Amino acid sequence: MTETLISLLSILIGIVAANLTGAIYKKYSFGVIGNTIAGVFGSIFLIKSFGRLGFDPLSIMDNGMFHIFLFLVNCLVSILGGVLGVIVMKLISNKLNR
Amino acid sequence: MEDMIFYDRLQFAFTITFHYIFPQLTMGLSLLIVFLKGKYLLSKIEKYNNAAKFLMKIFAINFTMGVVTGIPMEFQFGTNWAKFSELTGGIIGQTLAMEGMFSFFLESSFLALFIFGEKLMGQKLHFLTGFLVFLGSWASGWFILATNAWMQHPVGYEILENGKFVLENFGALFTNPWLLPAFLHNQMASVVTSSFVVASIGAFYILRNKQVEYGKLFLKVGVVFGLVSSILVAFPTGDWNAKNVAKYQPASFAAMEGIFETEEAGAEIVLVGQPNMVEKKLDNKIAVPNILSFLTHQDWDKQIPGMDQFKEEELPSNIPALYYSYHIMVGLGTIFIGVMVLALFLLWRKKLYSFKPLLWFIMFLVPFPYIANITGWYTAELGRQPYLVYGLLKTSDGISPTVSSGNTLFTLLGFVALYMLLGLLFLVLVGKTINQGPKPQTH
Repeated sequence: MTETLISLLSILIGIVAANLTGAIYKKYSFGVIGNTIAGVFGSIFLIKSFGRLGFDPLSIMDNGMFHIFLFLVNCLVSILGGVLGVIVMKLISNKLNR
Repeated sequence: MEDMIFYDRLQFAFTITFHYIFPQLTMGLSLLIVFLKGKYLLSKIEKYNNAAKFLMKIFAINFTMGVVTGIPMEFQFGTNWAKFSELTGGIIGQTLAMEGMFSFFLESSFLALFIFGEKLMGQKLHFLTGFLVFLGSWASGWFILATNAWMQHPVGYEILENGKFVLENFGALFTNPWLLPAFLHNQMASVVTSSFVVASIGAFYILRNKQVEYGKLFLKVGVVFGLVSSILVAFPTGDWNAKNVAKYQPASFAAMEGIFETEEAGAEIVLVGQPNMVEKKLDNKIAVPNILSFLTHQDWDKQIPGMDQFKEEELPSNIPALYYSYHIMVGLGTIFIGVMVLALFLLWRKKLYSFKPLLWFIMFLVPFPYIANITGWYTAELGRQPYLVYGLLKTSDGISPTVSSGNTLFTLLGFVALYMLLGLLFLVLVGKTINQGPKPQTH
């Protein structure tokens, strides 16, 4: 059941990563609200798309054993999702509003 | 075993209650956004467009939170309710998958286009994207309600020798007599919530003397939609739902109405009273005779079976909780109609915007439609107990047998902590958006 908590933690990590990206690279920032939304969808998108390679929450908690390495990979992918979420959304938004 | 069921149910109740704070607003708000955007298309008055775009920002925050809190629900089917998923997955998997594939993608894709694509698409296509967001969010409600309707009143299924439920008639899932009234009632209730939220934002702007033009618009739209939806949620949709419960789940109907003993002719409607489970009666009861029979069967003297007519195992497992949930929902619904009638009267008399006591009242009333919605769902879910699939699969037979209650309690505490963080983040984001207000467009 800890799997469910891990999935939520991934999203929170994505939110933090997206907001940090926005704070560091202002040209990609949507403000706190937009960055948060981008972080949620970015991290979910990457984890759902690639988690089955072996770092999804179910694999992390395989047979009740916590695999810290897989968890760290999951966190890294969430960070990447958050960062890419903000950047990709900003690029799309710029294209649409050009 | 009892402990395991209790903690599994408690965790599901907590996570679904928190989750349902968000979709109940988005479903109703999407209708108001379409209305405002449509009004802009017809009138070309910019404030309607700004108002629609402002509400879409609030929609987006709620939608995002709904997605985040929806993910644990999906996991719980596998982790806490593995047996239920194994036995009924062939049926509920259909509607839940359709919800994800059709509604969620429709809603999220066009939400992004609505927010970013106005300049690119032009106003008519922008309206269309708003309409498709509305369609996606209501379709989402339809598929979830179809799942729940099957659990409340199972149809179109066959049970195999190994106990698994399989779908025999796909169309029956969507023509289930439980579905349409439940869907309409639920959607109207979500319009009530969104109307009260919009009206309270309007009241807030007027009271703070900030964005007053938008404040008046939000208040007016909120009050008109609020009154219409508050009435529709009671009649005909609520009435239709109650008749379904009386027909298909008579034991639950008796429990939620607090009828312990069958009356010879004509059942009374209980306005106030506290269930006394030891003496099997209502304490301090205030009731109006024969009304329940009339409302249910349009016959003043028609007998309605009380709880004494059913075996103990046929009755809902927590009668007081069911009774109170139902009565809180009905009581609040009645208050909403009263408040909105008064607000509309003052609006007609052109006194609403300056009548501060009512503005304060509307502003602070905003949590109550949420409470009414959630207690409405509690009524439906507590009424179905002790079954997961009414009459066919008991709750105790649907849990994951190998997950300990300690494990569930630990993760429940984790959820409470994480949801507190999410809740705070949500309040900050929504507060920030409301504080900024609808920005005038800069062309």
